[in-house]
Amino acid sequence: MERKIVILLLLFASLTIKAQEKESLNLFTDRDLYVSGETLLLKVFTSASEQSGIVNIDLINRTGKKITGAILEINNHQADGFVYLPDSLSSGFYLLRTSTRIDNILTSKELYIANRFTGLPASNSDMQPARVIPLKETFAQNLEIAGVEKQYKLRENGHAILQLPNELISQVDGDVSVSIAGNAQDFTTPQFLQKSEPGATQSIVREGINIEGIITDLKTGKPFKNAIVYLSIPDSIPGFQYFITLEDGLFNFQIGKYYGKIPVVIQCFAKDKSSLLKITLSDHNKFKNETQAFERRIFTPEFIKYVEKATSAITFRKIFNQQEITIQPAPVVKRDAYPYYGIPTKTIDPQLFIDLPNFNDISKELLPGVKFRNYNRNPTLQVLNMAQLFYFTEQPLLLLDGIPIRDLNVIKDMGTKDIDKIEICQNERFYGDLIFPGVVAIYTSKADYTRVPESNDLIKLNLEVIQPRAILNTPSEQRLSDPDLRQVLLWKPSLKPAPKMELDFRTSDIKGNFKLIVHGKTRDGSTFYKEQIFEVN
Amino acid sequence: MANRILYIIFFFGLLATTSLKAQEKLPQKWTAEKIKGTRQIPYASYSGLPFLNDKFATGEIEFLDGSKMDSLGLRYSSYRDEVIYFNTAISAQIIIDKISLNGFSFTDENGQKRIFRRQYYDGFMPGNRYFEVLSDGDIALLVYRKVILQVCPPYNDNSGVLKNMSYQDAYNYYLYNRQKGYDLIRINKNSLLSKIDKLTQKSVKKLLRKNKIEVNDELSFIKAWNLLKENGITVNF
Repeated sequence: MERKIVILLLLFASLTIKAQEKESLNLFTDRDLYVSGETLLLKVFTSASEQSGIVNIDLINRTGKKITGAILEINNHQADGFVYLPDSLSSGFYLLRTSTRIDNILTSKELYIANRFTGLPASNSDMQPARVIPLKETFAQNLEIAGVEKQYKLRENGHAILQLPNELISQVDGDVSVSIAGNAQDFTTPQFLQKSEPGATQSIVREGINIEGIITDLKTGKPFKNAIVYLSIPDSIPGFQYFITLEDGLFNFQIGKYYGKIPVVIQCFAKDKSSLLKITLSDHNKFKNETQAFERRIFTPEFIKYVEKATSAITFRKIFNQQEITIQPAPVVKRDAYPYYGIPTKTIDPQLFIDLPNFNDISKELLPGVKFRNYNRNPTLQVLNMAQLFYFTEQPLLLLDGIPIRDLNVIKDMGTKDIDKIEICQNERFYGDLIFPGVVAIYTSKADYTRVPESNDLIKLNLEVIQPRAILNTPSEQRLSDPDLRQVLLWKPSLKPAPKMELDFRTSDIKGNFKLIVHGKTRDGSTFYKEQIFEVN
Repeated sequence: MANRILYIIFFFGLLATTSLKAQEKLPQKWTAEKIKGTRQIPYASYSGLPFLNDKFATGEIEFLDGSKMDSLGLRYSSYRDEVIYFNTAISAQIIIDKISLNGFSFTDENGQKRIFRRQYYDGFMPGNRYFEVLSDGDIALLVYRKVILQVCPPYNDNSGVLKNMSYQDAYNYYLYNRQKGYDLIRINKNSLLSKIDKLTQKSVKKLLRKNKIEVNDELSFIKAWNLLKENGITVNF
């Protein structure tokens, strides 16, 4: 009886692991070994049931600290991107971790990064994560790689044909990824699963990124209820969102489809205006994952030789300013045709008029229906309600480059030279549950938001949002007389599976072993691969 | 032994509970789209109704990105061609910005669902208008439920004030096709028949007679129109 129970338990455990593998993300990189200053190319496959629209990539060091990362958009259950490896990285094993922030299972891939200035440690060994159970990948027997020679000369054109049987094509979920990159013999690093709990309250992010945090009372340090949190994205048509906190003081925003880096301003205030508040953003990188065990790995002479060659290659590439990738223009996203504060009643360009030194004069001379007064160093601002022909008693929504401002002292010294245009809405505007008694939107000539002061209740961020797509640079784009020191000869992360897929590549000036590898994911959640190694000399 | 089995059952139960808990997705407090608009100022009081539905009816709006917001108290101002919603949180009647919507719908007092679509009208007085969709399809039957303020014989209102203006219906019916645009149509049998081939007109008359449809108002016109569609009768448009 006991034996039966033990067998049953073991069976259950194995089924659980198997199910986790199928639901987990799968991460593949162009190589396993890098030199600092290089660009890491990566491909992620998600499960068909994945609800998140984005995947987060974090490069973390041995202590679990995030070094750098990327946010990638999931399309057709897959994502691809790149990570610039900083020059300052010290030599050692790193983990490339992928998550959708709501997962309790993280997929990590081990990498070795050698610092290009200091090289490998003098002991020719390093501490490697131990006791990891690699994710199993099926060797695709029926996938044929044809046309690849065993040996190539330097700068020789190559041609490969991938032959996928219809049976496999029908099983493939999404695309297949193909890469040809330099390969350090006998050095491979695994991808594995780690159990974790997300560090903070997380919600599903279908597109864009999630910003979360807490509003606390500055005096008591306790979460603050009913604080109004504004998130603004300064732009020609500014982005805006708001959140009213509950007892827990928590807030969250989802920034839609923005690509690259965007400026974001988060501010909060209490309805009673007397309370002093503080914004604290949640650190998404604090995953409570299991403590990693390490073991010493001694490097082989081939590994050391490969690192030396790769270091020289990247150094020369830096000297010749050869970029490994070209970033593609971000897709055009349809946004609101007009600002959130409504279509302005009037738009004034102060630079078309005589030079006026301050906003008091501008309001008197150029802004009909806007009353800005600065009596006893206590500025006030009022806007005329055109529908009912009286001035609103409350202060209107004042925006500086799309950022709501409550301190009128910020604008009182602004002259015509500082202002590009002023938009006025002379009616009572509503945005969700917010009421704006008129709007005055000032767009500055510099548009650098420096006039908006940072404080406990106002945070300015330069936020890394969805990574735009990138393509690998080919030698034809570079001068032929320059050395061609590419470690990656081909990177096609999203190839539509077809019975016959033809690939062209050209070897570089680097001698050694190169590996052509194909990765894919099937509808049942398992991954497959096929590889072929050739030599360049 | 029995205890052991109980422990095992308990263990599996606990495991299943924690697995389920892990799969639960957190509630999403954040909503992408917010209603944008201005405060509704009461209209001048005259006889007649400036609104299609005098009381707020429960309905939904569709934003430009296709996302929808439902369970809103809506009413349509036929006089200004505006949709007004009642924001319960701040107790305000708000005119929703027309350019922020694709359309809206609500259920009227008779339990009938009224669907309105914002479309650009390129005829006389061009601009964005809310058209009620009476019958959709390749050729849609639309109505622009316009109410105008017109001079009328003098009358005393409820307060005894003498007035000579009233809100009057001035509905315009259109056949609409994405490529061909708008074609004004009147709500009568002759107008309907004029849109059909002369050779087919006789059979259409027979069909209407057989189905006991006398085209003399909006409801009967919609019935007749839907009957033509069901019978695959092509309309000259």
